[in-house]
Amino acid sequence: MIAWTGRKTLEGLEFAAAVLVLGLRAFRELFSPARRGRGEVFRVITRQILFTGVDALPVVGAIALMLGLIIIIQAGTTLPQVGAGAFLAKIIELTLVRELGPLLTAFIVIWRSGTAICTELGNMQVGQEIAALDAMGISLIRFLVMPRVAGVVLAMVCLTIYFDFIAIVGGFLVAKIHLTIPIQVYLEEIEETLSVSDVLITVIKSVLFGFTIAVICCHHGLSVVGATTEVPQQTTRAMLNTVTACLVLDIIVSVGFYL
Amino acid sequence: MSEAVITLDHVSASERDQTLVEDISFTVHRGEAVALVGSNASGKGLVLRLCAGLEAPASGTVRVLGADPARATEEQLLGLRQQVGFVFAKPALISNMTVFNNVALPLRYHTALPETEIQERALARLTECGVDAFRDRMPSDLTLGDARQAALARAMVMDPDILCVDEVLLGLDADELVRLRKILERYRKAGRPTIVATVNAPTSLLRVMDRLVLLRDGRLVATCPPAEALQVVDPMVQDFFGSQ
Repeated sequence: MIAWTGRKTLEGLEFAAAVLVLGLRAFRELFSPARRGRGEVFRVITRQILFTGVDALPVVGAIALMLGLIIIIQAGTTLPQVGAGAFLAKIIELTLVRELGPLLTAFIVIWRSGTAICTELGNMQVGQEIAALDAMGISLIRFLVMPRVAGVVLAMVCLTIYFDFIAIVGGFLVAKIHLTIPIQVYLEEIEETLSVSDVLITVIKSVLFGFTIAVICCHHGLSVVGATTEVPQQTTRAMLNTVTACLVLDIIVSVGFYL
Repeated sequence: MSEAVITLDHVSASERDQTLVEDISFTVHRGEAVALVGSNASGKGLVLRLCAGLEAPASGTVRVLGADPARATEEQLLGLRQQVGFVFAKPALISNMTVFNNVALPLRYHTALPETEIQERALARLTECGVDAFRDRMPSDLTLGDARQAALARAMVMDPDILCVDEVLLGLDADELVRLRKILERYRKAGRPTIVATVNAPTSLLRVMDRLVLLRDGRLVATCPPAEALQVVDPMVQDFFGSQ
């Protein structure tokens, strides 16, 4: 039992170190002055933003609308019964903007893009495409990892803001059928409650989540050695590790800023 | 004799903790065409990757174009990779790019050439390899032979000093074999690049080669011109060329 615990701890530390090194290399490459392959790298970033961001707008919008609707209906009908109707905006800010917005957007990005990144890179390993890129002198960090990290981070920030907006405004508009609060009052309350720091922390969270998702999924994709059966195994591991990492990061940021 | 571009000096190498190449030494000179000949388990694929600087030896020294890949910096390796074209046994074309974009990729990544010139050069290579008709297709739409020809076009597009081709016969039909022989002959006349290819069956392509490096169980049996191969006293070599 002790040996198993020790082995698992060492594996965990090794994994964390490998992910950290990959993340640092991608980050360094992002600000590298080298002009090599700039056009191709830009093309990969654009494609990643399109897939992770633009293509995800309908699903993120639908989930945000439904979640906003649920929270606004629950809070809007329950809070007045206990004499706390004035806290509707605060509840929205606490649940949607601070926590659920970034976290649920991260989960959607993990399910859509994280799996896609891991599977794509895993299949590239199996098909010797990664070896071919290396043989051509094309940097794997510059051509594969960094553009995916940059694309996912940018898309993640935009999607989180989009999620919050749809959840707050869209959810209210749909829920208005059952609520008596005028939209003007509702929006003014939101504006009063929402601070700059809330928005800033949401952005910080989405940047951290995006970076973590992309780096962990790239790491697992590149960890495939040669068999196609490894691809789904690594994808499952990537999902588990990214969800865990995002939750841990969320706790760290929330504790750091709000406690 | 022209300068040595690849030198293997008492090289041993392993793959997945298994020693596949033991104490091999030979030299390839500029402009030479060399075939690494042996059966499937002879270690010739690993020797080819050592020649291209894609693998580091467990012991011994490898020098490619004057550099030791095992000790080279990232920048030196990058320069070396641009001077060595490599065709893998699997075509290894990037699956989400068209055939044309695959061939143009090294030029777009490594050079600052205008797009029109990149297109001209890539198309010339595709035409030379007989796969220009497939330029807008995705790699998954190609047969193995065509995909390998496209991979050859990609390996040649940077005008490398050394061209390494793994399993040169894989996926080729009779027409493609003739076309490949013509491409190699044309290169031989031009004097560049240096060609190193692995071959696992007797073929007319061997006639294009200057020298054969005969391998068995990861060891060097002999090096000789193709015409003298039958004189090598070794059962594997006799069996190999006796069936020709």
